[in-house]
Amino acid sequence: MELVFQLLITTLQISAVYILFSLGLTLIFGVMQIVNFAHGHYFAISALVVVYLMPWLVEAGFPASAAYILSGLIGIAAAVLVGLATYQFGFRHFQRDMVGSFILSVGFVLLFDGLFLESFGGASRSVPSIVEGTVSVFGAAITGQRLLLCFAAILTAFALYLVLMKSKLGSALRAVSIDQEAAMLQGVPYNKIAFSGFLLAAGLAGIAGALIAPVSIVTPAIGADYIVKGFIAVIIGGLGSIPGAVIGALFVAFVEAFGGYYYGASTATLAIFFLVIAFLLFKPKGLFGNG
Amino acid sequence: MANYQIPSWVIFSIFAVLASQYFSGSHSASILNSIAIAALLAGSLRFVMLIGELNFAIAAFVGIGAYSAGVATTMLDISFFLAILTSGVAASLISMVFGSITLRSGGPYFLLIGFAFTEAMRIVYSKTDVLGQTSGMVGIFPPIEFDDWLSLFVIIICLGLLFLMYVIEKSQFGTIFKSIRDNSDVTRTVGINVLYWKVVCFAIASFCAGIAGALQAFVNNVISPGDFGYLLAVFALAYVKVGGESSIAGSILGAIFLVVLSEFALALGAGEHIFYGAAIVIAVLFMREGIVGLVSSTISWITKTRASKEERV
Repeated sequence: MELVFQLLITTLQISAVYILFSLGLTLIFGVMQIVNFAHGHYFAISALVVVYLMPWLVEAGFPASAAYILSGLIGIAAAVLVGLATYQFGFRHFQRDMVGSFILSVGFVLLFDGLFLESFGGASRSVPSIVEGTVSVFGAAITGQRLLLCFAAILTAFALYLVLMKSKLGSALRAVSIDQEAAMLQGVPYNKIAFSGFLLAAGLAGIAGALIAPVSIVTPAIGADYIVKGFIAVIIGGLGSIPGAVIGALFVAFVEAFGGYYYGASTATLAIFFLVIAFLLFKPKGLFGNG
Repeated sequence: MANYQIPSWVIFSIFAVLASQYFSGSHSASILNSIAIAALLAGSLRFVMLIGELNFAIAAFVGIGAYSAGVATTMLDISFFLAILTSGVAASLISMVFGSITLRSGGPYFLLIGFAFTEAMRIVYSKTDVLGQTSGMVGIFPPIEFDDWLSLFVIIICLGLLFLMYVIEKSQFGTIFKSIRDNSDVTRTVGINVLYWKVVCFAIASFCAGIAGALQAFVNNVISPGDFGYLLAVFALAYVKVGGESSIAGSILGAIFLVVLSEFALALGAGEHIFYGAAIVIAVLFMREGIVGLVSSTISWITKTRASKEERV
């Protein structure tokens, strides 16, 4: 029983990060029909900034929590900035062109891969701990740090869900993703909405990166692992669907946590892949996909 | 009778064969081999683009071809030619199963699952004992009498398969493929089984990808899971886009251009990733029709200015 709880908490924790990731992907796809592989690099830049900046700030005399929050904010800003640059110089011209935008994003992926490796080096890094001690939840031990970050990720995911469902920007984004022309006829300023949607998604990836940095080993290649699983989550849920992205992320995290514990990490990854293939046999466009 | 532009193909082939004889040093021979295999990969990727799909599973099928050649040669003692053929057939058969599931939805689903398939196959190679796990397979040699002729052989096979894809593209089948790309619903209404033809196109392309994998295995003698990651597909995409997507000549030109240029770039110490990344971004943003588009627009510009000059006279 204890073990099951432990694994469920792991699931929750991994899925919170995947949700932030896949919501961003599905948002960009829904609004702009862009399959953006560079999304993983918005995530990576934020995580990298945190692992490089935070130890430096701690050495300069900041308390650990203040150093983390400060470097996290800078990391998120960096992610938004990179997102802004790729949008302005590239994706802006490739809206609603799936193949073209994908090819461009792959170009960005290679470029950033190389640049990150040049500027950050290949070594993996981790940060000093922010919160000490462990907490026991239903008999399952979990470090305070993980619990706090898990909580923050769930809170962000929930806040985002509220924004998408309740706010004016959220309804505009959803309207555009359902039918762009009808939305424009209703007075939705498409270009402005697409721009804000893109930055929002990049910011989400940045938040996910800042949250994952203290609980995992960060290398310049960290984005690649997450992007594949984020996209698998989106495929399961159906591209462009918001509830689908959440369910897909929960599913991927569940298989990863339980399968990974019992059969090893790479078997779990294989299992996720073959389950998705089997799933597509019955639902070729995912759970809620229509496009 | 379709116009197959036989003269251009013959001239280019003679040129390629002469090049293989002239550049017989081991380093330049290996560059020629890389170019030939790269062109075949680009041709295969572009062939699936005819039905409007981006095939990122190509890296997986190259890997399947290479490992089939490795198993056939080092364990089963199957002869050289048969081993190459087996690789193509193996890749093609697996692609039929994979394609008949994933091509039903196509578009981004096909693209992303193809990407995941590549990663999954890499895990399979590195977890299988007989395939040498993460260290891969060694000692995949062509027969000794091929030592001096391997480069020529690779070039002939690659050009032959590229020509085959070209002929299919020009034939009725090519018309079906392009009509699926332009509007699959209309294609369906005239009684064409869209999924069937999509899978046929995909299987032909994967056959070529499998052969390319086998050739790569025989050229390098060594294969490992790291050789068949998604980067392979990205490079193939770079050849297609930089050369120009509109014709198969673009794929070949793109392969020649980027492989040669990357030789120089790497010698100067620039990272491979940055080089190919920049090449793709520049090609996509600033020359949408690639090198072929650049050449043809220059030619039409020259003829136009010449014509207007003549008018003035």
